[in-house]
Amino acid sequence: MLNAFIEPMNRAQGHIVLFVIMLLIGAGCEINQNEIMPEDGFLKIYNHPEEKLAFFPESIVELPEGGFIYISAVKDEDADIEYPYTTLVRTSASGELTWTMDYDWLAPTSKLILENGSVGFIAMNQQFDAYVVTIDPGNGMETAQQALDMTMPLCSFLDEQGNLVVLGYDFVTRSSWISKYNDNFELQRSNKLPVNTDLEYLIQRHMNKTGQDYPFFIGAYNNSSGAGYFVNCFYNYTLRTVFLDGSSLEATGDIYSFQTEEGISSIVQKSGNIFGLTSYYEGNNYIMAGAEIDVLSSGNIKDIPAEPLYELTYRAPVMAGSLNTNADQFALFISQTNDNSLVVYQYDLESDSLVNTLSRSFEERVEVRDYIQTTDQGIAILAEIYILGKYKRPLLFKLPPDQFVSEE
Amino acid sequence: MLIGTVRAQEAGYLDQLRIGFGGGANITSIAVLESYNIYEDIGGAQYENSYTKMLQNIGNQYFVQVEWFSKFLIVALRPGTYTYRFSKLNEIDFTNETVERETPYLLRYFTVPLEARYSFDLQRFRPYAGGSVAYSNLLGSLDASNETFIRSRFTAGAVAGTYIDLRYVILDLHAGYNVGLHNITNKTDRFATGNGVTFAQDDIMLNDLQINLSILFSLQKQKHYSNVECFY
Repeated sequence: MLNAFIEPMNRAQGHIVLFVIMLLIGAGCEINQNEIMPEDGFLKIYNHPEEKLAFFPESIVELPEGGFIYISAVKDEDADIEYPYTTLVRTSASGELTWTMDYDWLAPTSKLILENGSVGFIAMNQQFDAYVVTIDPGNGMETAQQALDMTMPLCSFLDEQGNLVVLGYDFVTRSSWISKYNDNFELQRSNKLPVNTDLEYLIQRHMNKTGQDYPFFIGAYNNSSGAGYFVNCFYNYTLRTVFLDGSSLEATGDIYSFQTEEGISSIVQKSGNIFGLTSYYEGNNYIMAGAEIDVLSSGNIKDIPAEPLYELTYRAPVMAGSLNTNADQFALFISQTNDNSLVVYQYDLESDSLVNTLSRSFEERVEVRDYIQTTDQGIAILAEIYILGKYKRPLLFKLPPDQFVSEE
Repeated sequence: MLIGTVRAQEAGYLDQLRIGFGGGANITSIAVLESYNIYEDIGGAQYENSYTKMLQNIGNQYFVQVEWFSKFLIVALRPGTYTYRFSKLNEIDFTNETVERETPYLLRYFTVPLEARYSFDLQRFRPYAGGSVAYSNLLGSLDASNETFIRSRFTAGAVAGTYIDLRYVILDLHAGYNVGLHNITNKTDRFATGNGVTFAQDDIMLNDLQINLSILFSLQKQKHYSNVECFY
């Protein structure tokens, strides 16, 4: 009789003690956050007190010694020159400001170049002549400048061999101008793709940030047809993605759309003839996660089966690229939605299936401008945001690698 | 005879229990361990972050109270809902204006404080002093800023107060100051944007000053105190 009373009591006490121990262990694990470092993931908005300045962030690189440098075009509404000047900002690995430097170079609409310990950017002078400018990443001081013998630079790309490919616009011959330079920025090859109509005004408004922002970009492909580049540019009346032979820079094929109002907004080669693309036409955005494209022929964007992305903003800028982790390879498409969110679509590179969608909402309007894979296998997204709904400023969003682990 | 002894022990154990309920107000004090800001000034200026002052941070708590007492020593459990309020203030500087953004927090914890009290028997009034430790678990909320905190919280503190014996019930007037023992910020989710907030959560400890009033019912036979002493 007594045992019948005492034994359940002992069992109950044992369960309570076990529960308390489990609770303490669980709470201890949650409290111990020593392994989480500020540089693993952060979000920073870089404000400038001058209300009359508008910042247009363009490109970001991660430095080998840690930290980031990003470039912005800065439009001063009181300036005599209509084109925006150049600002570089260096941050620590956790996004805190290290230095900032302004340059007189105009319309820096290119990717930043990280080569041999120095950082470079491409911009133009007041005569529209394109230059590559290198700076000391330690303090931002300009170390060299070199003319690229082209005008109105629109975008650039550094391939795996260290060759620099630059897209410009020749307002004399009304052509898109593509040039390839070696790692000393010496001209190797150049080609002009005739637009056949005068689009200088559209180009000017794109560069001085008063008109439509066109998705000019350059990338590289390599498949059974050979190695080459894809360039999104004006060609033969329309905004096209043109495939160029890697040596001669001659056009081998292209994907076209309707004049300058529609086009491809991003592209990434997945394997062989399989590309991932996003586009905008007829008022909507579309994604083609695994489209088979013949780089030796010309085709219409509407002939490729596509999935609509109704959530994205009108003519949404999209940044496409790959993410290589120790376990898997992914294709990423990063853009912004109508409800002020940055969104990352993560596709498995082999199966072309959507494995994850990451979203970050903001109070104010945001727009993605660039992204890079960081050395820790996370990503850093450079975007612009309207602080207080009024002032356009850069935003840097670092996502840790565990956000991209595929769920088995 | 053995059964009789056990029943006697049970009866003695129950005689030393008091059960009741209570509530009160609290004032939150924030101790910043490391400050973080979502805004960086390209011009190099430092933006000010601060928290509302203590007297603006008034919260409340409701709990049940279970006490075991011997002659001088009292062990009290006061599990309940403890709500803390405070606000973080962020400044953003512009040439022609300085914008101050306020992020209000309402943290509601389920807390289990365990207190040891040493009391002095002054008949009707029995003042006490002691110490407390508490485990808290943050309750869910639709407030987006709550995601910037971890669920668990441990505190330790000092308590003081007095029992007021009203014959059939005992009032417990209680004050305590609790110190957070660790950072309560969720380091993986310290940056909050959207849903009406844009801020970076500092590494903080949450301290609080509480004043409570409890009503306790003793299972012991009541002492016969009265406002008028009668002699028969």
